[in-house]
Amino acid sequence: MSKQEKNTRTIQEINEKIRKGDAQVLTAEEMKKLVESSGVEVAFKEVDVVTTGTFGAMCSSGAVINLGHSDPPIKIQKAWFNDVQVCHPGAAVDLYIGATNSSEKQPFDYGGGHVIQELVAGNEVEFRATAYGTDCYPRTQVKTTLTKDDLNQFFLLNFRNCYQRYNCAINTSDETIYTYMNKLLPRMRNATFSGAGELNPLMNDPDYETIGMGTRIFLGGGQGYVIGEGTQHSPKSQFGTLMVKGDAKKMSPEFLQGASFTRYGVSMYVGLGIPIPILNLGLAKKTAIRDSEIFTDVIDYSIMRRDRPVLRKVSYAELKSGSIAVNDKKVRVSSLSSIKMAKKVARTLKSWINEGQFFLTSPIERLPNDSVVKPMRQTQEIPFVSNVMHPAVTCTENEEIRAIAERIVTKSVNHIVVIDNQGKLRGIVTSWDITRAMAEGKKALSDIESRNVITAKPDEPLESASKRMAQHNISALPVINAERKVLGIVTSEDVSKLLGR
Amino acid sequence: MVRILLRLNEDLVSKPIVSEVILEQKMLFTILSAHINAKGGEIVLEVPDEATDAVVQAFRKKGAHVSVPKLIEVDNDKCFSCGSCVSLCPVEAISIDTDSNVNFDREKCVGSTCSICVDACPVKAIKSIRYANSESTNSQEK
Repeated sequence: MSKQEKNTRTIQEINEKIRKGDAQVLTAEEMKKLVESSGVEVAFKEVDVVTTGTFGAMCSSGAVINLGHSDPPIKIQKAWFNDVQVCHPGAAVDLYIGATNSSEKQPFDYGGGHVIQELVAGNEVEFRATAYGTDCYPRTQVKTTLTKDDLNQFFLLNFRNCYQRYNCAINTSDETIYTYMNKLLPRMRNATFSGAGELNPLMNDPDYETIGMGTRIFLGGGQGYVIGEGTQHSPKSQFGTLMVKGDAKKMSPEFLQGASFTRYGVSMYVGLGIPIPILNLGLAKKTAIRDSEIFTDVIDYSIMRRDRPVLRKVSYAELKSGSIAVNDKKVRVSSLSSIKMAKKVARTLKSWINEGQFFLTSPIERLPNDSVVKPMRQTQEIPFVSNVMHPAVTCTENEEIRAIAERIVTKSVNHIVVIDNQGKLRGIVTSWDITRAMAEGKKALSDIESRNVITAKPDEPLESASKRMAQHNISALPVINAERKVLGIVTSEDVSKLLGR
Repeated sequence: MVRILLRLNEDLVSKPIVSEVILEQKMLFTILSAHINAKGGEIVLEVPDEATDAVVQAFRKKGAHVSVPKLIEVDNDKCFSCGSCVSLCPVEAISIDTDSNVNFDREKCVGSTCSICVDACPVKAIKSIRYANSESTNSQEK
């Protein structure tokens, strides 16, 4: 160019270059390397587009389907694809398959995400529906098999995709828990995280300069569009999200995969990539963001509350290294979302642009960049362990069984909590244990106490504590704090009293 | 190192047969996993290659059922390298390479007695083969 060097470029100019086949496209991975080796000015001059990508479990996903009318016609009331119930949000034969709806025959193993994947793959699925029947829609049941070619419309419509970043999950409790962050081993034996970090589309355009309503994107192996902010979009706290739509008939089962998380439920992995046009130096700089600059919280998922304790801040660079230190303990950490597939999304999008199959769009409206998520307004309180727990009757390990038996009688309780001299939990003895000790002539407390004690935390919902008692077939849980200090005890009697109120 | 799986019946669980074999063979083994209750048990041991035959014979003499356990099986067509399983593995048999591929090391895997990763796979690409096809280290085994 003979003119003075330009310090901006437009989407029209980039599209013209794509048409001619000489647009310079780098994946986010390549861009970061270029900026590191040659500096941001060179990168801005040389690069027109940076392709980003993410591939993670995105629960708030699903597909809109229009079946066409049966003869005689039916106004569907309830409907199922492969035994997964779907919603009928509108008129007679419009349906929405949510990715997290479970099959009635194989709950937790097969769900809406799997149905979508099968349809996308061109497989036949079983469909059945029931209705109450009207004069205009007389039919009350229908059963058939369908492939995507039989459908009028089959498009992906995801309310919340592409989370800018996500939490790192850990479990400080004594039991394995199964969550949407997958399996978390007790006592912080592992941790999981999600998100592509520096490859994530929103991380590369955090001010929503180029990503907005109408932005054309890579979605599930086909082309789609951003249709607005996603639900719970919270850009201020770097938890931005997108609502997206695309023609599922043209997508690929490689980039849309049904998934099931043991004891949590089903979901769907979605591949989503966004081209970031490098319109100015600022965007070149933003797309150079590294994992070491992206932080998230390590959160204790064993606390069954909305606001869970944050144990520390951690960068995506540390998360991707495979281990992090939490409270001086080295914890192995791994991803739930596939970084390998995120890279593949970015590479595929790059090749589409290079081959002139994909053109960029200017957003027709900007997305909000200052909204925050509100919690639910609740008009009913639920009881927590702290609401019903009462002081525990305790003993120490060097006490005689006889003295403990006396305490059971005078205090009229069934459970004595064994503590050390700092008040920390050592074990538990029940009146039944004492009776057995008498019968078997045992004298030492250590012979009869249970040391593997199932416990409760003061701020956990009473319902989950009572479920745990039922699960283990026990009638009381010592309530302890994080240092295992005994704060009190909650018994099944406390629970039934509360219910009887 | 060779991994061997001992299965003990209810009569054997109360006997210190691992210690006995260690003393008799004058050899150290690593116990990779052990699940034992009153009804029986399963122990996975790692023994030096050259001693495998002698150790297997010694355990068989004491009445234990000995086999080389078939390991965990991974369906590479299904696996898309999310990494969910990686941090769960107690012996670091699953790792992520620089290209973000999840790799499974059969040598390091403790096998189906552990199986901690199996229910964590979101696409059910990991299967634990429960001895149905377990190969014997010795053709004499009944």
